[in-house]
Amino acid sequence: MPAPTDVLTKLTRDYAATTPQRLKVIDTYMVFCVAVGLIQFVYCVLVGTFPYNAFLAGFGSAVACFVFAANLRIKTNPSNSRQFEASPESAFAEFVLCHIVLHFVITNFLG
Amino acid sequence: MRLGALLRTWLAFSSICLPSASARSVTGDRLLVLVPAVEAAIHDYSIFLDSLKRRGFEVSIRDAANSSIVLHIDGDRLYDHVALLAPAAKRFGAALSIHDFIHFVNTGGNMIVAASAALSDFHRRLAAQFGVEFDKHGTAVIDHSHYLSSKVSSNHTIVAASRLSHIPAVLSPPLLADEHPTIYFEGIAHNYDSQIPLLAPLLTGSRSTYSGSSVAVDRPSLKSTQAQLSGRSLGLVSIFQSRSNARVVFSGSSALFSDALVGAEHSTNGLFINDISQWAFQEKSVLREVDHRHRLASAAPSSLQPDHYRVSNVINYEIDLSVYYENKWHPYIADDVQFEATMLDPYLRLTLNRTQVPKSATVATYHGDIKLPDRYGTFTFSVNYKRAGFSSINVHDTVAIWPLRHDEYPRFLSAAYPYYAGSFVMVAGFLALCAAWLWNTGPTSKSSKPKSS
Repeated sequence: MPAPTDVLTKLTRDYAATTPQRLKVIDTYMVFCVAVGLIQFVYCVLVGTFPYNAFLAGFGSAVACFVFAANLRIKTNPSNSRQFEASPESAFAEFVLCHIVLHFVITNFLG
Repeated sequence: MRLGALLRTWLAFSSICLPSASARSVTGDRLLVLVPAVEAAIHDYSIFLDSLKRRGFEVSIRDAANSSIVLHIDGDRLYDHVALLAPAAKRFGAALSIHDFIHFVNTGGNMIVAASAALSDFHRRLAAQFGVEFDKHGTAVIDHSHYLSSKVSSNHTIVAASRLSHIPAVLSPPLLADEHPTIYFEGIAHNYDSQIPLLAPLLTGSRSTYSGSSVAVDRPSLKSTQAQLSGRSLGLVSIFQSRSNARVVFSGSSALFSDALVGAEHSTNGLFINDISQWAFQEKSVLREVDHRHRLASAAPSSLQPDHYRVSNVINYEIDLSVYYENKWHPYIADDVQFEATMLDPYLRLTLNRTQVPKSATVATYHGDIKLPDRYGTFTFSVNYKRAGFSSINVHDTVAIWPLRHDEYPRFLSAAYPYYAGSFVMVAGFLALCAAWLWNTGPTSKSSKPKSS
């Protein structure tokens, strides 16, 4: 039975070696989304929900970006290419469009 | 010269006569006293009846069986007050029913109902309508420790009652200050329904008082075990105030009002019947709301009363209260006047403060600066003031509380800066991702090649 540290090192090594560069960029972005969302959530827990619409907008923005990034990652992952007829370029175009709409909504809702 | 002297004489004359001639009661001075026999009653109750006349009542003393007695004509009350001093009367007038008396009270008439050991069913049924249940036929109030020793009665049925409820609105200061009042009572006990908030016992039995058979009182040990009512739960005199602020006094004893007991040694009956008749006939403890108003706290005091507020507005609420006693309206001084804002549930209940400088000499103004709830809807602002013995006050306004308009909300709050920052950082992150994605076109093919090779 391999030690947990061995599993972790193997995991990171394999990730670094086999994951395409673009997916790594998306992964970084997703980690960033989680961090921004968590910070806002902790702030809300500490300070209270008073400008609730602002909290919803800020936190929702992070969550939605995470979801869009996850979709983009699934669609552009080469190992999933058999399931998707659309090209990675069209997936990226959808991603950009969704983001533009999202940020309009968020800015409007921010108060 | 002669005319001036005449005028002066007339003025002096009227100033003497007017106080006694003017009605002291707020609601009117037409009083109907129903007795078994007019001549005998004028003799028996002369002190009570004279005091009523002196207080300015138009007293009509009638035989209970007199068939011409009616309480209403065409829906209007003929009398403002009724005193029933005929406990044995089985019927009143030609065909006055219990409902006529109930209707009399509902339309604002006041009553004193006096009972005795020989009480008719009519009285029992009438009293039952008010939650007062007189004891069974053939019973009387007995107390072997506190009684009037007299030649007339040797069986201790003239009880010296002293346990008064502390109701300052009804009882005058001398009676309240008296530690051992002696109120002679000869009559029947009643059970008062303590679940009825409109009814309050005023005079109850002491520890040794009980209700027993009026016939076999010479063997008290045998009868006292069967006593249903005794001690504090035995009502002697109870007061009732209806929702229309009409007042009814139930006294288990008509003799309480008689000259014989008022004039008895050490008797405080005189004070007591004066207090209860003044209270019953609306001569004292009559509360009234003179005016009330509300406005935004920031608005000028003379500004118009708005029909709506916005959520969380601070408003100023004022109410003017007067109390009537000694022939005049006086400012009503209390520290428990409360304001309520309700929308199904009470949202606010606050005690109002008395304004030091009142609007006039006859009112006391109570005010409060009130922050409205952060909730919109149709609210009721009310002052619902009900205190024992005082007329109830229920003032309410329906006021709409509006939410803020879309452009009235506060913006750019410092508390929301992290959220603003968060959402703009997400925009920046998105742009960075786009740049990285577009810039990484080459490496994608490169990185996919080593994987496939």
